[in-house]
Amino acid sequence: MRWSIDGAHDVIRLIAGRLGLGAVTFLVVTLIVFAGTQLLPGDVAQQVLGPSATQATLAALRHTLGLDQAPYVRYLSWLGRLLTGNLGVSLVNGLPNSELIGPRLLHTLLLAGATAVFSVPFALVVGAAAAMLRDSLFDRVVTIVTLCVVSVPEFFLATVLVLIFAVKLGWVPAISYITEFHSVGQLLRSLALPVVSLSCVVVAQMARMTRAAILNVMNSPYIEMAILKGVPRRRIILRHALSNVIGPIANVVALNLAYLVGGVIIVETIFAYPGIAKLTVDAVSTRDMPLLEACAMIFCSAYLLFVLLADLFAIVSNPRLRHPK
Amino acid sequence: MKRDQKTPLRPHNSVREPAFRLSVTDGAELTEALRCGATRREVMGWLMASGMTATVAGTIIGGASNALAQTPKKGGQLRVAGFSSSTKDTLDPAKGSFSTDYARGFMFYNGLARLDESLKAQPELAESWEANADATEWVFRLKKDVTFHDGKKLDAQDVIYSILRHKDPKVASAAKTLADAVQEVKADGPNVVRVKLAGSNPDLPVLLGTYNFLIVKNGTADFSAAVGTGPYSVKEFKPGVRSVALRNPNYWKSDKPHVEEIEFFGIQDDAARLNALLAGDVHLMGQLDPTAIPRLESTPGYAVFETKSGQFSELVMMEDRAPSNNADLRAAFKYLFDRPRLVKTLLRGRGVVANDQPIDPTNPFYCTDIPQRVQDFEKAKFHLKKAGMENVTVPIYASDAAARSIEMAVLLQQAAQQIGLKIEIQRQPADAYWSNTWMKRAFHFAVWNPRPTADIILTLTFKSDAEWNESRWKSPEFDDLLLKARSEFNDDKRKTMYCRMQQLIRDDAGRAIVCFSSFLDGVSSKLKGLRPIPLGNFGGGQFAEDVWLDS
Repeated sequence: MRWSIDGAHDVIRLIAGRLGLGAVTFLVVTLIVFAGTQLLPGDVAQQVLGPSATQATLAALRHTLGLDQAPYVRYLSWLGRLLTGNLGVSLVNGLPNSELIGPRLLHTLLLAGATAVFSVPFALVVGAAAAMLRDSLFDRVVTIVTLCVVSVPEFFLATVLVLIFAVKLGWVPAISYITEFHSVGQLLRSLALPVVSLSCVVVAQMARMTRAAILNVMNSPYIEMAILKGVPRRRIILRHALSNVIGPIANVVALNLAYLVGGVIIVETIFAYPGIAKLTVDAVSTRDMPLLEACAMIFCSAYLLFVLLADLFAIVSNPRLRHPK
Repeated sequence: MKRDQKTPLRPHNSVREPAFRLSVTDGAELTEALRCGATRREVMGWLMASGMTATVAGTIIGGASNALAQTPKKGGQLRVAGFSSSTKDTLDPAKGSFSTDYARGFMFYNGLARLDESLKAQPELAESWEANADATEWVFRLKKDVTFHDGKKLDAQDVIYSILRHKDPKVASAAKTLADAVQEVKADGPNVVRVKLAGSNPDLPVLLGTYNFLIVKNGTADFSAAVGTGPYSVKEFKPGVRSVALRNPNYWKSDKPHVEEIEFFGIQDDAARLNALLAGDVHLMGQLDPTAIPRLESTPGYAVFETKSGQFSELVMMEDRAPSNNADLRAAFKYLFDRPRLVKTLLRGRGVVANDQPIDPTNPFYCTDIPQRVQDFEKAKFHLKKAGMENVTVPIYASDAAARSIEMAVLLQQAAQQIGLKIEIQRQPADAYWSNTWMKRAFHFAVWNPRPTADIILTLTFKSDAEWNESRWKSPEFDDLLLKARSEFNDDKRKTMYCRMQQLIRDDAGRAIVCFSSFLDGVSSKLKGLRPIPLGNFGGGQFAEDVWLDS
């Protein structure tokens, strides 16, 4: 890869700007998360002590929890703790939130990681191949299959998979409830169904976007120029088109990965998988604000991080930025 | 917090799981439902959800006689799926409010007494007890040589601490109201405990056999582990994830428990829990949806374990607000329910019809002499006319929070059309039903979990000044009988009093109590020894020390 000096400066400036924007977004997000949890109906002290609590014990607990302070004071002290890595203590069972979140976040990352390793390359290859073989039988099949898969709700897909592969055939367990590590084989068997269910959702979306993005670029004048010059189609796509579509594709991939970290409550429920989405739902239903805030920040950070990485990736891979006129 | 007292019968994730499912064999019911005004979408929903079920008659396992006839085998790893699991899971008997907590509690602790299949108190940590004539002063003699998991010997101080901590507001115990009736608990030597009550209560040993009053070690404040005297010790406990219980080799009942290790975790989704059982991932699953009975019974190697109980569903008609403040309108409603049909379709026959009063046939004080109220459009019409409400539209509140209430409301709506009464069903979200709708709307559905004694349920929700007197029914005669029954030791005399109370509620209270539903668990046929204690799923929570695995 050849870089011009000016280009490198531009890229560094862009990256710095993007990182700064990321930091600002993070602050805005903390503000929204904090405000959002304040808006939930129900008072934490009341929730902890129950309906028979007296005003005096309520006031005492509110004081201990710092709930009697002004909102901005509470926000700043929360933000301070958050930035130093202190996620607080769960109000419901008194355990540190990091202890509650830690193992479950690992589970979530394991599932998301396994799904990503499986689905991202697959989706990109299928999408690119469909674009290359545009209007062929393969392209039509891919289009129809991905459209179908995208329209099927994941709970339905997951339940059907369980019925076939766990209940009827008995190849894999019906629940992916991992608590001890015995062997890689057993781990793969446990993860098989949730990974396949999640992959169906994300592969379809990513493959369609890849195909669409490549075809979009294929209609631009510089590709036409290349065609007129007699460059082979494969080379046009891989050499000229792909580098220009990496940006949008990276963003789609990033959004899907962020979804895998934060939004898989249905799959977690169906497979009784002890991940972080279920923990968040628990936190909402028990009004465990510190835990909820911690979980929400993890989701938001995951989104921010993935989108940031995608943008950075797009910046450094963009030929126009690497080779300025 | 109210919801905790009235433990929800279904997890709150019923969004995608229609609570009401009919099998395709119920064609007649469906045709009727269509004709009677259920929307086409509703009926299609029921049909779709019933899926590939086939009605095959199966056997009900369980029943102590059957299980005890075989010699229990030792060892094995038992995997159990409960239906609620959250960060709220606890090992503190004062805090637990879900049946998963109950089941865990009975693994790790013992009570002074233990309840049997007819809800009678049997000696457990207390080998005997006696009371004075008016049941206000009790003496409990503790078993000697019982040790906690850490080797400490059980003595009177542990019992005193375990009872009195419920009175401390800081503990926020679920049993505070019950414990407040205890005036004094003191030791009389190391193995005798004297309990003094504020008022008489012949049922005290039964109370002390319930989950909340399990015995913890004197001074315990940290319940991240459970150091009890129970059949298992804690190997691992992660709230919202799982617990692993390890057989207590020094258990004071030398022949128990049988299983080496119990892994207990929650699967909230009904279908996923059933699939886990059918795929062989667990041996026992709590709270089987009645509509899944045919599917379970048609699969060899699995069975339904039914525990009959006093868990009841009702339509509350509040007497202090319009339009339910009209006695004739309330009476009309009581005649509208087709109770046998509700039991047949909604409960799949796993329940019994109720007679507008809360004492069920498993209760020793159930009254058999009161005539059963049946659906009677003539009488309903008569009362409606008398109320002068033929042309009003009555809103009725229902929610998934009160199990099966939406389906009951639909059936009620259809029946009401027969007498020209218009009902508007107000479906409420499960999340805030107990705080926003329950005891706030004139007509609404509710569900009550069974209580161990007739006195408790009657005191909790029918006594004139009870906080949860849902319909605001006031009857001096009832209140008087309730108090008198408490100081009566003669069971025949008590039964006469409870009979009269049941009659009063049935005739007069603003409560249409329509059915008692059984607790249903799904079990693998490898699992033996379950006993139906009529208090909840998992053999009233007490399954752990009785069960064994047949290889």
